[in-house]
Amino acid sequence: MHDVTMSALHHALRGLSARQRTIADNIANLETPGFLAGRVDFESSLSAAVRAGDPDTSTVSTSRSMDPTGVNGNNVNLDQETLSLIETDLRYQMTSQAVSNKFGLLRTAINGGR
Amino acid sequence: MATFPVLSTMANGLSVFRTWMDAVGDNLANLNTVRRTDEAAFQARYVVAEAVDYGNAATPGIGTGSRVAGVAFGSAEGRLVHDPDHPLADADGMVRLPDIDMATQMTQLIQAQRGYQANLAVVDRARDAYLAALQIGR
Amino acid sequence: MPVGPVTGVSSAILTPLTSLADTASTSAATGTRPSGFGDAVIGALDDLSATHRSADALATRAATGQLADVHDYTIAATEASLATELTVAVRNKAVEAFTSIMNMPL
Repeated sequence: MHDVTMSALHHALRGLSARQRTIADNIANLETPGFLAGRVDFESSLSAAVRAGDPDTSTVSTSRSMDPTGVNGNNVNLDQETLSLIETDLRYQMTSQAVSNKFGLLRTAINGGR
Repeated sequence: MATFPVLSTMANGLSVFRTWMDAVGDNLANLNTVRRTDEAAFQARYVVAEAVDYGNAATPGIGTGSRVAGVAFGSAEGRLVHDPDHPLADADGMVRLPDIDMATQMTQLIQAQRGYQANLAVVDRARDAYLAALQIGR
Repeated sequence: MPVGPVTGVSSAILTPLTSLADTASTSAATGTRPSGFGDAVIGALDDLSATHRSADALATRAATGQLADVHDYTIAATEASLATELTVAVRNKAVEAFTSIMNMPL
């Protein structure tokens, strides 16, 4: 039941929710002096793991953004964070729908269409 | 954002308009910045925008937004004003003020704001479109 | 009454069935697909595992963020879901038909 695709989707959901939390942290620290925006990257690790055939080896990595900072040392860009939040939200919806679809196929086969 | 490419395009665009508004704000705040006559006046800031690209491998022919290429500075001449009581006045009682016109700056501010709101409207519509695509088959 | 061998089963029943088998084998041999609802159904049954695989591939690409056209995945997922339901429905009908034949009093 837990094939490669399901595993990849599961790891994607974990990465996306980590990203959501990081964006929330960034937006909360919009005016904090010296704060560097957080960035989450799970896509590169996940696509390499999928190509190698074992999605379970993928990791979620967090880092600090090296974008130029403003006068008070803060480099959070509100527009970018807002749009990143929208994109993460949509991708989370799509990925969880993909997981539901896969379970739905199994359920159809089990219930025999009834 | 390879998924939902419109969103990354708009992120670029929104930053340009926000920077434009920041520049106008800076100009207006320094409308009456006085300098000595032997120094340069406060120079108006002009944001220079450029397109990010005119199509790339993922979307041939369709660009991915704009970005701030740099900031250009206005005239350093300014205008000389007679103000003998000012602490920075020279021997003739003249000081140097920036050559910034408030009306022009306000017009620019309105343009920048309209541009920002237009970009936001695109984001809204694109999000609705993507949600509709996610509803296929439900 | 003595039960004799079943002979001379009316060709009226058998001929349409054999002609259907002939059409199916000819079209399989020549590789042509005469258009029609029946053939669309047969095509969907044949492609069931292919639709599953393509939906899975698109889902994986969506998970790693490489899918720029989200509707590609949702359409493929809908196809896979409908193809599965179709296969299940056909299997149910076949079982029903078989059961009703087996239950026929001889």
